[in-house]
Amino acid sequence: MSSVESFLRRRWVLLVILFAVWALLAYLFKGHDTLELSTMENTPVTQWLNDAIDSIRANRSTSPVFLYVFNPIRVVVENFIQLIRAVISLPQGANVIPMVGWLGSLAIVGYIVYATSTLRTSLLSMGLLLACGMLGMWMFTLDTLAMTLGAVVLSLLIGLPLGIWAGINDRVMAFMRPLLDLAQILPTLVYLAPLVLAFLIGIAAATIATMIYSIPICIRITAHAIRNLRAGPLEAAESMGSTKWQILRKVQLPMARRTIILGVNQTTMAALSFVVIAALIGAPGLGSPVVDALMIRNVGKGVTAGLAVVLLAVMLDRATTAAVIRTENIDDSSTARRRRRIGLAVGGALTIVAVILSRYVLWAAVFPQSLDFGKGIAAFADTVIGWITETFDFFTEGFNEWFTVTMLNPLESLLTQTPWWITIIMISLLAVIIGGRGAAAISVVLLGLVVVIGLWNDTMVTLAQVLMATAVTMIIGVILGVMAGRSERVERILKPILDAGQTLPAFVYLVPVLALFGPTRFAAIVCGVFYAAPVVVRIVADGVRGVPTEMVEAATSAGSTPTQVITKVQLPASKRSLLLGANQGLIFVLAVIVIGAYVGAGGLGYLVIAGLSKPDLQGKGLAAGLAIVLLGVVMDRIAHASANRSGPGGH
Amino acid sequence: MMRTARKTAGLATAFGALAVVLAACGGGVNSASSSSEAAASAPAASAAASAAASAAGSAAASPAASAAAAVPCGDWGVAMNNWVGYTASAEVLTQVAKQKLGCNITQTKLDEANVSYDAMEAGSVDLIIEDWGGGRWKDWVDRGAIQEVGSDGNIGLIGMYVPKWMAEKYPDITDGTNLNKYADLFKTAESGDKGAWYEGPPGYTTIGQKIIDAYGLNFKAINVGSEQALIDLMEKGQKDQKAALAYFWEPHYYLANDTVARVNFPANDWSDAKKASGKTDYPKTDLMKLATTKLMESGSPFAALVKNWQWTNADQNSVALDIQNGATPTEAAQKWIDANPDKVAAWLQGTGAA
Repeated sequence: MSSVESFLRRRWVLLVILFAVWALLAYLFKGHDTLELSTMENTPVTQWLNDAIDSIRANRSTSPVFLYVFNPIRVVVENFIQLIRAVISLPQGANVIPMVGWLGSLAIVGYIVYATSTLRTSLLSMGLLLACGMLGMWMFTLDTLAMTLGAVVLSLLIGLPLGIWAGINDRVMAFMRPLLDLAQILPTLVYLAPLVLAFLIGIAAATIATMIYSIPICIRITAHAIRNLRAGPLEAAESMGSTKWQILRKVQLPMARRTIILGVNQTTMAALSFVVIAALIGAPGLGSPVVDALMIRNVGKGVTAGLAVVLLAVMLDRATTAAVIRTENIDDSSTARRRRRIGLAVGGALTIVAVILSRYVLWAAVFPQSLDFGKGIAAFADTVIGWITETFDFFTEGFNEWFTVTMLNPLESLLTQTPWWITIIMISLLAVIIGGRGAAAISVVLLGLVVVIGLWNDTMVTLAQVLMATAVTMIIGVILGVMAGRSERVERILKPILDAGQTLPAFVYLVPVLALFGPTRFAAIVCGVFYAAPVVVRIVADGVRGVPTEMVEAATSAGSTPTQVITKVQLPASKRSLLLGANQGLIFVLAVIVIGAYVGAGGLGYLVIAGLSKPDLQGKGLAAGLAIVLLGVVMDRIAHASANRSGPGGH
Repeated sequence: MMRTARKTAGLATAFGALAVVLAACGGGVNSASSSSEAAASAPAASAAASAAASAAGSAAASPAASAAAAVPCGDWGVAMNNWVGYTASAEVLTQVAKQKLGCNITQTKLDEANVSYDAMEAGSVDLIIEDWGGGRWKDWVDRGAIQEVGSDGNIGLIGMYVPKWMAEKYPDITDGTNLNKYADLFKTAESGDKGAWYEGPPGYTTIGQKIIDAYGLNFKAINVGSEQALIDLMEKGQKDQKAALAYFWEPHYYLANDTVARVNFPANDWSDAKKASGKTDYPKTDLMKLATTKLMESGSPFAALVKNWQWTNADQNSVALDIQNGATPTEAAQKWIDANPDKVAAWLQGTGAA
C-alpha cells in the first residue's frame, strides 16, 4: 500500500512539474508556430481532397463504382424505406393519407407489441404514440418510426449473422474487434460527409449512416451472447456427435436468445438516437423540426419535437425490453396458452377493424385536429424558456461569461497559441506519465498526422472544449456517483434520470440550451456535459459500490468521518472506475462538442458541417472529420492506458 | 412449447399481413380525393376530402376540383434551403402548384449550393427557387442536368450590419475600413481580445474571414448556428445599446424594420464567392431559379409556372414575417395567395389552369 502511495505521489510531482514547464514554454513562445488557418483557406492536403471530391462528383454517373455499387445500394435502401413509409407515413400521389390512416397504424403497432410482449406494454406503447400525435407530431413521428424500423431491420440482417459468426469463430472476432472498438469512439458526425459523397444527401445516406452506428452494437452483443454460454450443454451436444451447425441451431442460438433480443433492443435505441443527426443529411421525421428549430426561430416546435423523440424512445425501449422479459417467463400452462391465443385473435380482429376504419372514415384517417395540442405546447415551451432566459440571466449570461473568460479562454489560448511542437511534446510526456510509452508513441504519430493534414489549430480549439466539458462532467459524475454508490435511496432517485439521459439523442437538448445560452462554446460544453454525465455517474457509482465493505467498515470504526471515508478509502479504491469513467466521458463529450458547432462552438465540428454545404470546404470538412477521429483515438488511448495501468482495483 | 409458440406467432403474423393487405386494396378516404371526377360526382366525399386535406396541413394535397389542368402536372420535388425567406417563396410556389395545377410536390430540406445541385442531378429534387451564388452551378449546368430559369424577382444583397444606434453614435463605422478603430467595442467572451464578427450559419455564402484577412481587421469570425441567433444579436444590440456586428441579407423581414445599418466595403467586383478577394463587399445579385432539365422539358404545367414565377422583396418579406410571427408556412402562403390573386393569375398564364 505504501509503495503504491509513494509511487502515486511521485507521479503527481511529475505532473505538476510538467504543467509548470508547459505554462512557462507557452508564455515564452506564445503566438509562434500556431499553425492558425483561416476558415476559407485550404492546405495542400485539403486542396487535394477537394479536387478528389470534385472528380468523384463529376464521375458519379459514369464510374463503375457508382454504377454497380453505390447507386444500386442507394436505390435498394431508399425503396425499402419508402415502402415502409408508404404504409404508415407518406401519402402517395394525390392521396391524403398513407396506405393506413393514423388509427390503423396505432392499432398495428399496438398489435405487434402485444404479440411480442404483453397487453400492458402494448397499451403503454399505444398511449405514448398517441401522445406524440397530441404533440402535433404524428406524421413526423411515424416517419421516424419508419426510418428506425427500416434501419433496424437492415442492421439486424447484417449484424446478426456477423455477430453469430464472430461468436463462433475466434479469427473473425480478432479481425472485427479493432473495427468495433473504433466504431465505439467514432463521433457520429464524421461519417456523414463520406456517406453523402457516396450516396448523396437523402434517405439512403441517412439510413446507411444510422446502420453504421447501430450495426457494431448488434455485432458486439450477439457475439458476446454466443461466447458467454455455459459450457455444459455445448460439451454434451459435442460429445453426442452433433455437427457445428447443429450445435449452433439447437443449442447456442436458443440459449443465447435472451441476450440477442437485448441486442435488438440496443440496436433499436442506437438507431433512434441517430434520427436527429440523420436529419442533417436528409432523413425525414422528428429530426427535421429539431434541426429547423436550430436554424430558424422555433424553439417551441423544436422542444415539442424533442419531446416526441423522447416518448418514442421510451416506447421502443419498453416494447423491446418487454419482449426480452417475455422470452424468459412464458407461462406454458394450457389455460394461459388458450387465453393468449384468444387475445391474439381478438386483438387481430380489432386491428383489422381499425385499419379498415382508418381507410374509410375521416376521423380515423387523419389525426384529428381536436387532439393536436402541439401549438399550445410549443407556445408554452417558448414562454417558459423566454422566462428562464430573462429571469436567470445572471446564470445564462453571467456564469456563461465568467466560465468562458476564466476557464475556457485561458485553456484554449494555451492550446492554440503555443507552438504545435511544444504541445505535442507536452501531450506525449503527459501520456508517458499517466499512461505509458505505448500511448505516448501513438499520441505523437497521430497528432503529427493532424499537423500534416493542416488542421492543428482547429483541433486544439475542439480539444480545449472537450477537456473543459470532461472536467465539469467528472466533477458532477464523481459527486453524484459517490452519492449513488453510498446510498441506495439516492441511486433509486437518480436511476430514471440516468436512464432518460442515456436514451435521449444529443441533439434534443441542443435546442433549449441554445435558447438559454446563445451561440457560444459554453452552450456546446453544457450539451456535452448533459450527454456524458449519466455514463460517468453510472461507472463511478458501480466502482464505489464495488469497494469491499470491510474496508469501509474498518475506516469508519477507526473514527474516520464520512468525508474521510470517501476521500481516503472509497475514491482511491475505485480509482480504476474513475479513470474508466473519464475515458467514457471524453469520448461521449467529443461526440457532442463537434455537433456543438451548430450552436457556434467552432473548431473541427464547424468545418465538418460547413464542408457538407460549401464546395470549397468539402475537402477540409472531410479532413476535419479525420482529425476528429485522430483526436478521439489519442484521448482514448491515453485514458485507456492509464486506466489499465492503475490495475484492476475497484471493479 | 416450440410448436405452440410457432402457432401463436403464425396467428399473429397472419393477422398482421391481413391488415396490411386490407390497407393496400380498397379506396377509402384517399380515392375520394384522388381524382377530380370523384370529387365532382360526390359532393359529400369531396367535402370530406378537403376537410381532410386542410387537417393534414402541408403533407396533404388538396383536391384538384377547382383546377382541371389540361395536362396532368405530375410529381415534382422542391429543394427547401434553410432560411425563412426561401421558405416563404418555396411554400407559396408549392401551394399554387398544388391548388391550381393539382401537382404533387415534395419538399426536401437541403443545404444550398452543391448539396442541392447534387440532389437535382440525382433526380431527387427538381427546383431551387432562390439561389444566391452567381454561377457557382456552372459545372452542373455543363453536365446537362440543371438549367438556369432566370431571376425569381428578388434582389439579394448580403452584408455586415450593426445596430442602428451605433451608426448614429459613430457615423464613420459604416465604412468597413474603419472597423479596426472600433474593434474594442465588439469584444466579447467568445472573441477574446479581438472584436466579434458574427458570420452566417454553416450552409450560407460567407466571405467574412476573407474580408478580415484582406484588411487585417482585428476581428474574430464567429460562426453562429442559425438565422435566429443573428436576429437575437441585433435585437438585443439595439434594445440594450450593445455593440454587435453581424451577417444579414436582403430580402429579410428583419432589415425591413430599419433598426440596423449596413457596414460598407468598396463596391463589389466578383460574383463567385470562391474567387472573392476579400477587398470588396458582397455583390447585389439577382436571385435565380434553377430547375432540372427533366422538369423544364417535361411539358408539365409546373414547368410553365416555374418559368413565370417572380415576386418582389416586399412580397417575400410579408410572407416571411407571418411565418416568423408563428403562422405555419402553409398558412402564411395561403394568406398571401388570397390577397394577391392578380399575381397568382399572372404566374398561371400558359399553364392551362382556369
